[in-house]
Amino acid sequence: MKKFLAEVLVFLIILLISFYLTFMRANGKTDPFYLRFTSPKQHSLILGTSRAAQGIQPSVLDSILPGSGFYNYSFTIGHSPYGPAYLNSIKKKLDHQTKNGIFILSVDPWSISSNANDPNNPDRFRERKLAIGKTPVVNIRPNFFYLINAYDKPFYHLLPRQKSSIILRDDGWLDVKFKIDSLKMEQLIEKKVDSYRKNNLKKYKFSDVRLEYLTKTITYLKNFGRVYLVRLPVHPRMMEIDEEFIPDFDQKIRQISEQTGTPYFDMSFMNDSILYTDGNHIYRESGKVVSARIGEWIAGQEQ
Amino acid sequence: MLFNSISFAVFLPVVFLLYWFVARKSLRGQNVLLLIASYFFYGSWDYRFLFLLIFSTFLDYFTGIKIHEAETRKRKKIWLWLSITINLGFLGVFKYYNFFAASFAGALSLVGFHADYFTLQVILPVGISFYTFHGLSYVLDLYNDRIKPERDFINYAVFVSFFPLLVAGPIERATHLLPQIIRKRDFDYHQAMDGLRQMLWGFFKKMVIADNCAIYVNDIFSHSSGYSGSTLVLGTMFFAFQVYGDFSGYSDIALGTARLFGINLLRNFAFPFFARDIAEFWRRWHISLTTWFRDYLYIPLGGNRGGKWMSIRNMFIVFLVSGFWHGANWTYIVWGLLNAIYFLPLLLLHKTKQNVEIVAKGRLFPSLKELTGMIVTFALILFSFIFFRARDLHHAFAYTAKIFSPSLFSLPHFKGDEKIAPLAILILVFFLIEWIGREEQYAIEKIGLKWHKAVRWALYYTLVMAIFLFAGKEQAFIYFQF
Repeated sequence: MKKFLAEVLVFLIILLISFYLTFMRANGKTDPFYLRFTSPKQHSLILGTSRAAQGIQPSVLDSILPGSGFYNYSFTIGHSPYGPAYLNSIKKKLDHQTKNGIFILSVDPWSISSNANDPNNPDRFRERKLAIGKTPVVNIRPNFFYLINAYDKPFYHLLPRQKSSIILRDDGWLDVKFKIDSLKMEQLIEKKVDSYRKNNLKKYKFSDVRLEYLTKTITYLKNFGRVYLVRLPVHPRMMEIDEEFIPDFDQKIRQISEQTGTPYFDMSFMNDSILYTDGNHIYRESGKVVSARIGEWIAGQEQ
Repeated sequence: MLFNSISFAVFLPVVFLLYWFVARKSLRGQNVLLLIASYFFYGSWDYRFLFLLIFSTFLDYFTGIKIHEAETRKRKKIWLWLSITINLGFLGVFKYYNFFAASFAGALSLVGFHADYFTLQVILPVGISFYTFHGLSYVLDLYNDRIKPERDFINYAVFVSFFPLLVAGPIERATHLLPQIIRKRDFDYHQAMDGLRQMLWGFFKKMVIADNCAIYVNDIFSHSSGYSGSTLVLGTMFFAFQVYGDFSGYSDIALGTARLFGINLLRNFAFPFFARDIAEFWRRWHISLTTWFRDYLYIPLGGNRGGKWMSIRNMFIVFLVSGFWHGANWTYIVWGLLNAIYFLPLLLLHKTKQNVEIVAKGRLFPSLKELTGMIVTFALILFSFIFFRARDLHHAFAYTAKIFSPSLFSLPHFKGDEKIAPLAILILVFFLIEWIGREEQYAIEKIGLKWHKAVRWALYYTLVMAIFLFAGKEQAFIYFQF
């Protein structure tokens, strides 16, 4: 028995070291989410869906608001609409010693909606079964929990030198790095708008529960600093869909803004002047402009 | 709790250490621990089903003693039928009620009657078909005076519920397993190592071959109307690899796990895809079920003792019941029927036992005749698998019709085909290893045993790393649904 246990133990140790080394190869090119679950706890967060993940660049904000140390903890409309799972994950990501943090909550109609049959039943929210709901620890590297529960490819993808035009930066910003010409941009916008109109617009419903969780998220974060609400620019054709989906969206957010005393910055006035990768997401160069405007607006609010 | 889950990776070492360090001194202790572990294992799916399992265990334990004690043949028969009726009654309610209700209403509507029927909203208790047959073999063996009843309830309950075989077999026999349960087990290094080796091969089959094939199978079968005939053939081949990797992989893990506890279970697979005819295939595929039907259905029906027509009738009954055992769906019945039809020529020509030894024994390559036999048998099996996998008969026929269309001669094309190379290589390596090890109990049983220890362990390390790196998305075992 001793021989058996000793041999198995040695074998297991060698295996565990191999697994560890393989997992250590995971990086910002592994997928658009992994790295966010590996960074330390943070004190200033950018929250929201993929519009914020791609559109708000922490480095630009940091240059305008020195010492803030922003971290982009936004994911997608599937992973991070406001709700219990996202709030729970935010609580884990937040450094609880924070006193003067700045929290930018990006809002859009999809972040307070659900594609479940009953949009007000949190048990049906799909993020429960995605990385945000299945990753109990969000600040270790390598993050075994994420890689085992949520990473959706075989692990051999981690081994070669990974090439990707989508890179998750160390500050959580999702850098989509591809050259774009006006023709390709128009095609991508057409495709995205078409997909939102045919799929999302039909499947999604406004969720009172998610709106309630937006308020809960604001209230919770206020214990650790200042909270700001931002509506990012989208392509005018996407804006049409947004307005068709929840016509009184702006009104709802303003109401929450007043109730919680949270400043709200509606950036839709910039819709026409921004470049988008697909109509829904801001192009990296325009992202700098948008991030700078947000930084300046916050600086103005803080004076 | 799935074998391929983190919870099982924690559960197994804990039970193993308790078994060999805490409970090793007494048989009682070993069996009580195995029973608690088995009930915990089963209850982790749904604790409510535990009551059904315990009831079924108690029923067969009690009726078994009554059968043995009955003084007349008539009284023995009454107890036997009580056990059979209740056991099959549960199986009927949980597994077949909705099928019969719908089929009956459908039949009435054909002759102009409209019948309303209600369906039962019940979940099929996992493993019910397996442990029901397990218990039935025990009472049938008692009735036929093949064994004596087990009077210790704990021992009997371990025989029925031993966790490695509880949810998907192999379907054990009291004559084989009970003697091992009532004898104290001592740790045997070689047996335990052999168990780990078999588990390793089982995990490889399940997690690398089956789970990766499942991705393509699910897509191709779900969208079969949009794919070419050649793609559908490929989809069926992937399904064959999936179902074999899945079920034989499960069996290897079950057998290997049992060996860690000093118990040898019945072999369930013996390289069926190297069979040269259908009869050989069925001697090598799901052996514990095939032999169960042979011993408790085919032979009691008269087997081949009543002449040619009697044998044919009995053979068709066995295949149809076997199909129906797999699920309450006409697709399984047609699958059984197809296999019976494949079997028929061999039966008529008295060639069911022409290929008993493993193919190309002692040789590296098969002869042309053997190769042809294997290819033809594999093609027949593939065709029957269309019915096994299709969601209903309509789907199966549409799938078949699409295969036999001009698009059969086009290049296969399906979602994700650009990423198929690693899987194709893995399947090739898998079959190569299976071929090399085909004369053993499982493919890697003897591979490397004469090598230097470090080299042998390097082989195991490579296999574990292959599982780790290439494992597909976790899928439940296919046979759990049966």
